[in-house]
Amino acid sequence: MAMSDDLNAIQERVQEALAGAHSLEDLEKIRVAALGKKGSLTAIMHMMGKVPPEERPAMGKLANTVRANVDSAIKQARLQIAKRALDEKIMAEAADVTLPGRRLSPGTEHLISQIREEIEDIFCGLGYTVEDGPYVETTYYNFTALNAPEDHPSRSAKDTFYVVDNAPEGKEKHVLGESDVLLRTQTSGVQVHTMEEKKPPIYMICPGTVFRPDTADANHLPQFTQVEGLVVDEGITFGDLKGTLDYFCREIFGKDRATRYRPHFFPFTEPSCEVDVSCGVCHGKGCRFCKNTGWLEILGCGMVDPNVFHYCGIDPEKYSGFAFGIGVERVAALRYDLPDLRMLMTGDMRFLRQF
Amino acid sequence: MRVSYEWLKTMVDVPEDPQDLVREFVRTGTEVEAVERVGADITRVVTSQVLEKVPHPDSDHMYVCKMDVGKYNVDEKGEPCPLQVVCGAQNFEVGDKTVTALVGATLPGDVKIKKGKLRGVDSFGMNCSSRELGLDADHSGIMILPKDAPVGVDFVEWKGMSDTVIDCEITPNRPDCLSMCGMATEVSAMLDEDTHIELPAIKNESAEFGRTADMVDVTIDDAELCGRYTARVVRNVKIGPSPEWLARRVIAAGARPINNVVDVTNYVMFLTGQPLHAFDLGKVSTRDGKRHIVVRAAHEGEKLVTLDGQERTLTPDMAVITDDGNAPVALAGVMGGLNSDIDEDTVDVLLESAVFDKGHVSRTSRNLDLMSEASIRYERQVDGARCALVSDVAAALFEQCCGADVCEGMVDVYPAPVDAPQMDLRPDRVRALTGAPIEAEFMASRLERLGCTVTRGADEHAPMHVVAPTNRPDLTREIDLVEEVLRLWGEGDVEPTLPAARNHAGGLTVEQQRVRKIGQVLRASGLCETSTYNFADPRDLERLGMSEEGRGVPVKIMRPLVADQSQMRRDIIPGLLRSVAYNLDHGVQNVQLYEVGRVFFGHEHKSQPDEPSYVAGVMCGAWNDDQWNKKYVKLDFFDAKGVVENLLDALRITKVRFKAADPERYGWLQPGRAAEVIAQGELLGWVGNIHPSSLKNFDLDVPVVAFELSVKALLRLAQRELPYKEVPTLPGVSIDLALVVDEDMTCEQVVQRIQSAGGKLLADVRLFDVYRDKIRVGEGKKSMAFSLTYRAADHTLTSEEVEKAHNKLVTKVMKSTGGEVRS
Repeated sequence: MAMSDDLNAIQERVQEALAGAHSLEDLEKIRVAALGKKGSLTAIMHMMGKVPPEERPAMGKLANTVRANVDSAIKQARLQIAKRALDEKIMAEAADVTLPGRRLSPGTEHLISQIREEIEDIFCGLGYTVEDGPYVETTYYNFTALNAPEDHPSRSAKDTFYVVDNAPEGKEKHVLGESDVLLRTQTSGVQVHTMEEKKPPIYMICPGTVFRPDTADANHLPQFTQVEGLVVDEGITFGDLKGTLDYFCREIFGKDRATRYRPHFFPFTEPSCEVDVSCGVCHGKGCRFCKNTGWLEILGCGMVDPNVFHYCGIDPEKYSGFAFGIGVERVAALRYDLPDLRMLMTGDMRFLRQF
Repeated sequence: MRVSYEWLKTMVDVPEDPQDLVREFVRTGTEVEAVERVGADITRVVTSQVLEKVPHPDSDHMYVCKMDVGKYNVDEKGEPCPLQVVCGAQNFEVGDKTVTALVGATLPGDVKIKKGKLRGVDSFGMNCSSRELGLDADHSGIMILPKDAPVGVDFVEWKGMSDTVIDCEITPNRPDCLSMCGMATEVSAMLDEDTHIELPAIKNESAEFGRTADMVDVTIDDAELCGRYTARVVRNVKIGPSPEWLARRVIAAGARPINNVVDVTNYVMFLTGQPLHAFDLGKVSTRDGKRHIVVRAAHEGEKLVTLDGQERTLTPDMAVITDDGNAPVALAGVMGGLNSDIDEDTVDVLLESAVFDKGHVSRTSRNLDLMSEASIRYERQVDGARCALVSDVAAALFEQCCGADVCEGMVDVYPAPVDAPQMDLRPDRVRALTGAPIEAEFMASRLERLGCTVTRGADEHAPMHVVAPTNRPDLTREIDLVEEVLRLWGEGDVEPTLPAARNHAGGLTVEQQRVRKIGQVLRASGLCETSTYNFADPRDLERLGMSEEGRGVPVKIMRPLVADQSQMRRDIIPGLLRSVAYNLDHGVQNVQLYEVGRVFFGHEHKSQPDEPSYVAGVMCGAWNDDQWNKKYVKLDFFDAKGVVENLLDALRITKVRFKAADPERYGWLQPGRAAEVIAQGELLGWVGNIHPSSLKNFDLDVPVVAFELSVKALLRLAQRELPYKEVPTLPGVSIDLALVVDEDMTCEQVVQRIQSAGGKLLADVRLFDVYRDKIRVGEGKKSMAFSLTYRAADHTLTSEEVEKAHNKLVTKVMKSTGGEVRS
C-alpha cells in the first residue's frame, strides 16, 4: 500500500510545513508543492490510473480525503495568517489618543450678535417681525415723536451725539440740542417708523446699534446695542406686557429666574416700569454680583403713551400697545460677568474665540 | 431726595421697620438708592463733665483734664472714676458739660479713637467739637452742653440723633416727591394711611412792623421766565444757630446748617418742595425808599458772583433777579448772589418764594455746571399755586426760630394763575389697559390719598371726575391716572398673559435670513465676527489710499468725544485694520476677522446720509499655528478669494467673475494681488492684498488680505435655490493635460477655451498644477496642468470615443491659446 503511505506522508508533510508558515507567500509555496500542477498530491492523482481497479475506489476515496484535508488546512492557515497580519497592523497603528485632533478652525459669532440673534429668535417664535431704521436719525423720530419734551435733558449735547445737518431747514425747534440730525440714542425711533409704515396689528422688535457720548470705559461704550420691542393691537393689556417679558426673561436667563416689575418713568410709555430678574448667582438672596438686592435690572418697558399713537396716526381708543427696550451688552455682561465692555470692540481673537 | 424717617413719622403713620417702607417704595415706583442709619457712625461717645483742668507740662496750649464719664470708666471696685483726657481746646472751664469719645469710639468719617500719649501724657479719649460729631461746621472748640445735661450717658441716645434716612431717586415726572409733604402724601397713598401734616402758622403778622408792599415792589419783565413771584419782608432777625430739631432735619435732608435764616429757607424747601431765597434787605438798593425787584433775562456777558464765591458769566437765556433792574442779586432758580447774602449782621430779610421756568433753569444749571437744591426742583417744575402759602410757613419759622417780626402782607405777582387740571377716569378703561380687576372704589380712594379731588361715578363703570393737585404736573390725562392706579394697586399682581396676535405673522424675512447666512458661511470658512466703532478718523480714507469718490460727504459729529472718532465711517476696512494691529500688538499673529456693518455716505444738501451695509473681512498670519499633525501656510490672496467664493456659492450667486482690479481705482490694494468681484455683470466688491504702503499707515508690517462686498448687491443676486443637476451614474474617464502657455494668459482664459473646445463629453476641468521653469518650460511661459473628465450621460464611453474627443480638444486648445502640450 505504497500509495496510501505516500498520501498520508503528503498530508503530514503539508501539516508540518503549515506549522512553519508565516506568510501568505509561504502558504502559496506549500499549496503549489502539494496541489499545484506539479504538486505532490497532483502527481499521485495522476498515478491513480495505475492503481489496480479493485483498490481504486478505496484509494480514490483516500486521495480525495487527503486532498480535502490539505485544502482545508491551507485555508485554515490562511485565515490565521490573515488574522495575525491584521492584529499586527492594528497593533502598529495604535496611537496616543490624547494627542490633539486634527481640526478645521471655524470662526465664532460675536458675543453681541449671538445674544441679539437669540433675542430675535425668541420674539420671532412669538410671531414678531424684525425691523430696522437709520442710525443717523432726526430729532423728530429720536425724541419728539416719542413724547420727549423739547427741553428734555436727554436732548442735550451731553447725552446725544448731534451731527452736522447739511440741509438745516429748521424743521424742529431745538432748545437743548444743536441740530435736527443726530446719531440715534435709542432704537425707539424705529417704533415710530414702523407705526407710520404699517397698520396694526404690529408685533415687532428692532435690534440695532445706538450711540451716546459716554467715554469708553469698563462699563460704558459710546456705541452699543439695544433691542426695541413694540406691540400694537386691539385689547393689549399691561398683563400682556408682563406675560411677554416674563417669557423672554425665562428664555434668555433660564426657567428658574423670577421677574420683578418696578413702576418707573419714560416719556414714551405710560404706565412704565423697569424689569428686574432674580440674581442668577445668589437666586435672590443678595450677593456682591447683585449689590445685595437679589435682583438685576435688565430692561425698561411700558404701555405706549397715547401721545406717541397720536404722532403716528393711530387711534389710542381703538388700539393699545406696549414697548420695551433691552440692552444687549447688559445681557452679555450679566451672563458672562464681563469685567470690561471695551473687550467687545477690540477684535481681540482671544476674546472672540471664547464665544 | 433724602427722607428722614423720624421726620416722616410726624406726618404719616409708617411701619416700625424702615425696610418695610423701602419695599413699598420699590413696589410703587420710588427707587431707593440707599438706606442710612443716622448716628450709627458714632459709637462709645458719651456726655461728660470737666472735673479738673491743668496745663500740660510740655505744651503751652494743651490741658490735662479729668473727665467725669459716669459708669463708662470704673476702677477695680466697679466704682465710677474720672478719665484722663488731654485736650487742646481753649473754650471750656472746670464744671462744663461736654462730649467725650472713649477709647474704641468711632466718629463720622470712620475716625477711630485709640489710647494715645500727647507729649508724654496719657490720654484715654477725646473731647469732641461739634464738627467732629458731624453736627455742623463748628470746630472752634469742644462742644459745650447745657448745664442741665446728664453726665455719663450715650451721646447719640441723649441727643435723640438716631434716625434712618431713605435716599430716594425721584424720576423727572415727580417734582412733588422732592419734598417731605409730597413724600408723606405718596406714603399715605402707598400704605392707605391718613396724613397728619401740621404747618407752622405766623403768630403776629402786623403792620406795626411795616407793610411789605410799602417796602418792596416786584416786576416780572418776561412772563416766560417767571410764572409767579412773591416777596415778603421780615425784620429784626437775630442771626444765630438754628434750633437743634431744625438743624437735624436739614442735615438729614442733605444740607449743611449755616445760620437760622438760611436754615429756615432750606428747611421749608425740604418740607414743601418750594425753593426759597432770603436776601439781606439792607443790601438791596433802594429808590424812593423802596426796593424795586425785577425779574429779567440776563444780558449777554453779564457777571454775577454766586453764593459759592464763583463769578458766573451769564447769557440772555438765563434769568436774574435784580434790584431796580440793574445789578443782579441772584441767578433765578439756581443760586443767590454773594452781594445780597445773609450774614451775621443781617437785620431785615426779603424772602422770595417764586416760580421760575423749568426749561430756563435747567439750561442755566447745565450751562453753568451749577446744580443746587433749588435748580433740581425748578427743573422739574414748582407748584405755582402754593408760593404764597409756603412764604407764610417760612415767615412763621422766622418768627419762631429767628425772633423775626413779620411785616404785614406780601407782594404777589402772579400774571396767569394756574388751574388744577381736571379729567375723567373710566374704570373700564383702567381695567382694559391694565388687564387687572381693579375696583372703581380702589381707584377713587387712592387718587384721593394722592391729593386728587374725586367725584365718583354712579357705578362700577361710570367715569369718575378727577381734579389733580397742583403739585402734580404729571397728572393731566386719563392715562396719567391709570398709571397712578396701577402702580398703587401693584404691577407685580397683574396676571401675566400672552397676546393672541390674531392675523399677524412674524419671523425673519428672506433677506434677514440671508444676512445671517453670510455670517454662517464666513464663520464656517474660518473667520471670527467682530464689531468695530462706526466712528472714523477723518484721515482714514486717505491713509488707506481709498478715494472719496462714490462715498458721499462725511457725516460729521458736532462734539466728538475724541478727535479720531469725529466722523461716521465711510468704509469698514480701517476699523478692521486697527483690530489687526491690536491683535499683533498683543502677540496674536493669526487674525481672521469679519464684520457686517453700515457705512455712512452723506449728501451735500440732505440731512441724513445713505447707510449701506457691507461685509468686510481681513486676514493675516495663517489659519492656525502648526499642529503636530497639520502644518499651515501663510494666508494669501487665494485664501481670501476662497472665502469670497464660499460665500457666493452658499448664496447661490452665479456667473461670478474675478477681474484684475485696476490699480488706479483700487489704490489701497496691491497691484497684481487684487480683484473686483463681479456677478452677472454687477460689481459686488473686491478682494485683495492691502497695499503695503496703506498697511504702513495703520502701523502694520505684515501682509493683510481683505475683502469687502456690498450686502445689498449680495442679497439682490442671491437665490433660494439652483436647478437640480443629475448625479452621474456612469463612470467618467480622466485624462491629464499639461499646457504650456504665455505668462499673460489667465487661468480664466485657458479654462474658457478648454470648455468651449470640449464639447458635450467634457464633464469637468480641474487645474491641479501651475509650473514655471526657464529651461524646461521656457522664458515667459507657464505650464498649467489640468485634469479633464469625460463622461456621457447615456452610455459608458469607449476608449476610442474618449481619445477622439480629447485629441480634438487638444488641437483646438493649442490653436486658441497658442500654447503647446507639455509632454
